[in-house]
Amino acid sequence: MNTITRSLIPLLFILLSTPAWSQHGQEHQHEHEHEHEHEESVSDSAAGVASAAPATGRLTITPEIEIALANGGTAVVADVLGVVCDFCAVAMNKIFGKQEEVAAVYVDLDTKALNLVFKPGASLDDDAIAALAVQAGYRIAAVHRSPVVLGS
Amino acid sequence: MRARVQLLLLLFFAVGSAAVSARPVSYVGGWTFIEESNRQSTAALIHYTPSPSWSLGLRNEWVRDADYAITSLQPTYLLKRWFGQEYQANVYLQGGLGVASGTSGNPMSSTTAATAGVIADWETRRFFLGYNARYIDAGHFGDNAMQLVRMGWAPYEGDTQDLHTWLMLEIDHRPESADSVSVTPLLRFFRGPALLEVGFNIVDPTPLINFTYRF
Repeated sequence: MNTITRSLIPLLFILLSTPAWSQHGQEHQHEHEHEHEHEESVSDSAAGVASAAPATGRLTITPEIEIALANGGTAVVADVLGVVCDFCAVAMNKIFGKQEEVAAVYVDLDTKALNLVFKPGASLDDDAIAALAVQAGYRIAAVHRSPVVLGS
Repeated sequence: MRARVQLLLLLFFAVGSAAVSARPVSYVGGWTFIEESNRQSTAALIHYTPSPSWSLGLRNEWVRDADYAITSLQPTYLLKRWFGQEYQANVYLQGGLGVASGTSGNPMSSTTAATAGVIADWETRRFFLGYNARYIDAGHFGDNAMQLVRMGWAPYEGDTQDLHTWLMLEIDHRPESADSVSVTPLLRFFRGPALLEVGFNIVDPTPLINFTYRF
């Protein structure tokens, strides 16, 4: 390895020891008692909603969701495990967006939640939502429904 | 030779990705296009995901210095996935079976080729750690093995549809290469269904360009 290569190794350690890392560690520790961790074998095909459900779900309002609510749709917010990137959001948008019951869908990476508004008179039960999340490659931790998700 | 055959039969799945791919198994019904170019090869792959646990792709890989290319079917199997509120971790087996053919005037005849690999990753919105090992058997064109680790850090947490930026460092080990260990700093840009990685190998001066698009 040349000099440049050798110099990059300590740089990496400097990057990893920045305050951002420390802050992340503290947040993680703080949230640890609330955190749901799942280990899944791919042979576990049964889709289920995790039993311990944090009551944190609040709907993220986007223009599409606002329109769907104005049209009389009901809202669901599902806490999703493993949502760390835009590919996760794309996967769930594709899977849930194809469902005829769904009027609007938005995956919020900040709240790690799947936001759904159904067409008037339509709905999906918790098991169906969980099964669809598995098709997208993810796991539902909890499902919150109107009016709780609207903050009422 | 027998051990080589046993290894290939055991894993069967062939042509492990040369990079730590972003989610080599997509959502059910999803198509993904992946282009990869590194110090050894240039490859294009399109794969389809029929199940949450596996995908099947068609891959063409040009091994530039050795003047041959492999066209193969590439299954990827999600062996294990761990979920948390802040992280996701995966272990994949990847393989393939196809045909190796000479390029750039290489007169050698076409032959059966197979590869096998394993990919592991752990990712949060700020940190990434990945490992990839791969073995190629291209018959009389030769065989080779490689492994790499990749570390990444995102300077900020982008929300949905934001531009996500990662600083990454990839260290690869290719025993057959003159520079058996090399280092590639790279930038990853990620937005919606598209991912672009641009880097430069500072030991074996070669650009790295990877692109993924999820349909």
